[in-house]
Amino acid sequence: MFATYRRGLFILAFLAAPVTLYLVYVISPYLQAFYIALTDWRGVNATPAFIGFDNFIRLFADGVFWKAVTHNAALLVLLPLLTIVIALFFAFLLNVGREGQGVGGVAGSSFYRVVFFFPQVLAVTVLAVLFQQVFRPDDSGMLNAPLMALGMGPIGFLSDPDVAFWSVLGVMVWQAVGFYVVLFSAGLASIPRDMFEAARIDGAGRFSLFFRVTLPLLWDTVQVAWVYLGILALDVFAIVWVMTDQHGGPDFSTTVMATEIYRNAFQYFRFGYASALGVVMFFFTIGFAILSLRLSRRERIEY
Amino acid sequence: MENTPQITRRGLLRAAALAPMAGALAACATPQAQAPTSSAAPAATSAANPFGVDAKKPLEVWIFDGGFGDAYATDIHQPLFKTKYPDVAIKHSATKEITKVLQPRFAGGNPPDVIDNSGANALDMGALAQDGQLQDLGPLLDAPSWDDPNVKVRDTLDPAVVDFGTLDGTFLSVGYVNYIHGIWYSQKAFRDNGWAVPKTWDEFLALCETIKKSGKMAPFTYAGKHPQYLYEPLLTMAAKIGGNEILVDIDNLEDGAWTAEPVLRSAEAWAEVGAKYMMEGTAGLDHVQTQTAQNKYQVAMLPSGSWLENEQKTTTPDDFEYGMFPIPDVTASDKLPYGTLHTRPGETFIVPSRGANPQGGVEYLRAMLSKKAAGDFSELVRTVSVVKGAGEGRDLTPGARSATEALAAAGANTVHFRWRSWYAQLHDEAVAATGRLMSGGATAKEFVDRLQKKADELKADSSIKKYRR
Amino acid sequence: MTTTTWTAANSRRLARRERRRQLGPLNVLTHVALLVWTVLTMVPILWTFLASVKSEEEIFGDAWSLPAALRWDNFARAWEQAHIGQYMLNSVIVVSFSTFGTMLVGSMAAYVLARYPFRGNRAVYLLFVSGLAFPVYLALIPLFFVVQNMGNVPLVGPFIGLNTHAGLVLVYIAYSMPFTVFFLSAFFRTLPTAVAEAATVDGASHTRVFFQIMLPMAKPGLVSITIFNVLGQWNQYQLPLVLLQERDKWVLTQGIADISTAAGYDQDWAALFAALTLAILPMLVVYTIFQRQIQAGLTAGALK
Repeated sequence: MFATYRRGLFILAFLAAPVTLYLVYVISPYLQAFYIALTDWRGVNATPAFIGFDNFIRLFADGVFWKAVTHNAALLVLLPLLTIVIALFFAFLLNVGREGQGVGGVAGSSFYRVVFFFPQVLAVTVLAVLFQQVFRPDDSGMLNAPLMALGMGPIGFLSDPDVAFWSVLGVMVWQAVGFYVVLFSAGLASIPRDMFEAARIDGAGRFSLFFRVTLPLLWDTVQVAWVYLGILALDVFAIVWVMTDQHGGPDFSTTVMATEIYRNAFQYFRFGYASALGVVMFFFTIGFAILSLRLSRRERIEY
Repeated sequence: MENTPQITRRGLLRAAALAPMAGALAACATPQAQAPTSSAAPAATSAANPFGVDAKKPLEVWIFDGGFGDAYATDIHQPLFKTKYPDVAIKHSATKEITKVLQPRFAGGNPPDVIDNSGANALDMGALAQDGQLQDLGPLLDAPSWDDPNVKVRDTLDPAVVDFGTLDGTFLSVGYVNYIHGIWYSQKAFRDNGWAVPKTWDEFLALCETIKKSGKMAPFTYAGKHPQYLYEPLLTMAAKIGGNEILVDIDNLEDGAWTAEPVLRSAEAWAEVGAKYMMEGTAGLDHVQTQTAQNKYQVAMLPSGSWLENEQKTTTPDDFEYGMFPIPDVTASDKLPYGTLHTRPGETFIVPSRGANPQGGVEYLRAMLSKKAAGDFSELVRTVSVVKGAGEGRDLTPGARSATEALAAAGANTVHFRWRSWYAQLHDEAVAATGRLMSGGATAKEFVDRLQKKADELKADSSIKKYRR
Repeated sequence: MTTTTWTAANSRRLARRERRRQLGPLNVLTHVALLVWTVLTMVPILWTFLASVKSEEEIFGDAWSLPAALRWDNFARAWEQAHIGQYMLNSVIVVSFSTFGTMLVGSMAAYVLARYPFRGNRAVYLLFVSGLAFPVYLALIPLFFVVQNMGNVPLVGPFIGLNTHAGLVLVYIAYSMPFTVFFLSAFFRTLPTAVAEAATVDGASHTRVFFQIMLPMAKPGLVSITIFNVLGQWNQYQLPLVLLQERDKWVLTQGIADISTAAGYDQDWAALFAALTLAILPMLVVYTIFQRQIQAGLTAGALK
């Protein structure tokens, strides 16, 4: 009896702090956001008026927000695709690409792995500021200097509305690749060596080794990567807010859902409307999560 | 070591008991009616202390640290204030991004007491006013001036200050500087190359052509990263062609205000400059980069305001000699004559109504508006203040002289617009559309249609408060 | 036995030689590809380091010119006038406490949820894990007011309201819960139960079993998730942007973003590059020293 009491007390004591913190700082704000989305709240003291779904109706006509949604959607497809392709390629080269003593990585593979990972340990804001300089529109820009020397006029990496989005995507891929190289390498390391040996002895070249052995065995890891990168694509904020002109410009060509929420809340004082945008973003994210869970129920390869 | 788990457990239990209580108190986000704190009540008022400033209560001041820096506040205004209130501790801060730093303080109900609400990231005045966040400064206008108890503050100021500071019938903000907009150039460069200030748009285009052909520098640039630097001359030109009501209509969100012929005509004119005479890379450069390029004689002209000379003081060559000229005549039948200028009281000071010490805030403004403070200010930051006669007998730099002369020549022909501070969304849209227009991504027609559409949207949006002038 | 081994090795060596003959040029291509990405990764960073010792004119001149003299004073300006040192210290303080707190309460919750079946266990677990899918932007506005109201709580209020590091620490801890609980409870489930059971039989309390037996056993998992949280919280920008508005409280990410804006007014681009270098270099050094643990930790975290 006493033991049961002690056990209950223990459970209670151990859960009290985390659950309280979580309820206060995470769950309660989320729940309240749903209510605020139904009001016209613009500040702290004016009493928010309940306006039903007006914010959501308004939102449907908000061209900038839908532009932001298409950018998130484009990132959702392109960021995982590019990152995974590049990372898989390098992970393969680093781990099974070597000729010589058995199957292994090329010489210096640990060096490459360390260097590729560098961008991952830097804060996104730091990178955003750094790339602002890299992308400068004249010959003081790291990229434009050689381009102009070659006679290819300066490219407005951040100032041309047709280019800016690709610059954002480029920086995101640039940062993400290293992490996924290491992730896939870890996945490859858990595949028994003799599977590669066997394939090699059967005369498999590097290409068939990749497509017939590596990729199927790594499929689980690739799916994990896809989900992570997908969430990254939906959640992107700092790189756009800090790096691009006019916080998502020029001409809203790089804006994303998160920047529009922030802009409406903390620059236009439209807390109600911004919360409605947040609710829409919430459903997009949940939708993506459910979808990826469904799609990832693919047969596992047993070995 | 024996006791460690014991202590941990007791601590945990205590936390378990206390945390939910604290959480329940705070977890509710939506506003709780905040009673005005008793500390905000004024002390007794008198002629010398018209707002009832508490001589001991601290004062928090935030200055926009832009073209004028913030030394004028710490070296001129605050010492002057201290002469009368030596026991008031002034907490001074400065930032480039007023909104980012201070918006949450407003939302949090603990704003500072005086704010210089300026710069590209200034707070949305419309939203602040709608939310009742701003102290009514009407009593300041009717209070005795700092210098002379027989003269009201109102009578020491340029009348535009009152017009501009009034929102919905209440005087809420004090513009401290007379911003004079125009096209800026180097008098030395023009003299050396034999270029003349253009009086008509045709002359302006011909000058651009001459400069371009000379190969010495690019004819024109603007802060491409912040296209509001260009929609300013664009709208001034529209007003010059079509009269002041063009800008009044835009401010009032009238139907067809943006699609009016003069706006279209002006947009076409500037789009041509954008297509033919722009310095390479303009679209990606900010105001400082373009202004520095001008200081290096890489570009001849750019649109800016009377703060420019001070902003560039570290990079300007000694013999550069800033000058400015007004928007040239576009047609033979422009509604407003040559010399028409866009002027506005800028460097907008506000006193939050829910700060800890609003009385002290208003008193700080009264001190700022004294003749000595304003005169020292204009001399220090090379500009024109709104306090009448404050610049008398002071040394003016070439740019400030040029702007002062242009202002005198303009006489009553000055125009302004206010939608930028009323409707932040329209401003963002205009910034985006102007960038497009100037880089050839949109035609003049598309430009005006796009802004008309946005203005119509705002007009139809019942959640956004409307203002009229 | 020896003979067979020798033969096998010999034939393998022959096969290898054969393959090398076939795939030789590809090896070169492999290295070219890897080197290209190495260059792509390193050059922007090295270019920033280079610019940090240039003068203002050199920065606005040709991007690839070398500095005429090394301007170390850029760093002095970044450190003193741009307060990089202060921001870095703030980041260190916040992240130290928040990571420690996250690990403490996170492992407590994860342990109980993993090893103590009780009614509602599953619900609490799902509550935590569901947080993985919420976009933080939805919560941002109410969160701001929650933290602000925390400032009004008697006694502790002034320490955990807006503009306090402790307030930010609590928020970080709360927002790190979903992943930490998710990962660690999975980890606790994989640990053997025998030792803990034996200790319980010997009369050790639940708390003592946790702190003295289970936590040491869970060390690999704890290390992984600590690294994960340190990096995540160090790089956080959105939350401090909203919750810390006073300059002297700012963390490094806010400081860097501000210096970038400020450079546009003060025209001190050299100090900006120096500040960037100061923000980047320590991270790269720490990472290079602990790269094995960091890589292992992060990828283990991702793969669970």
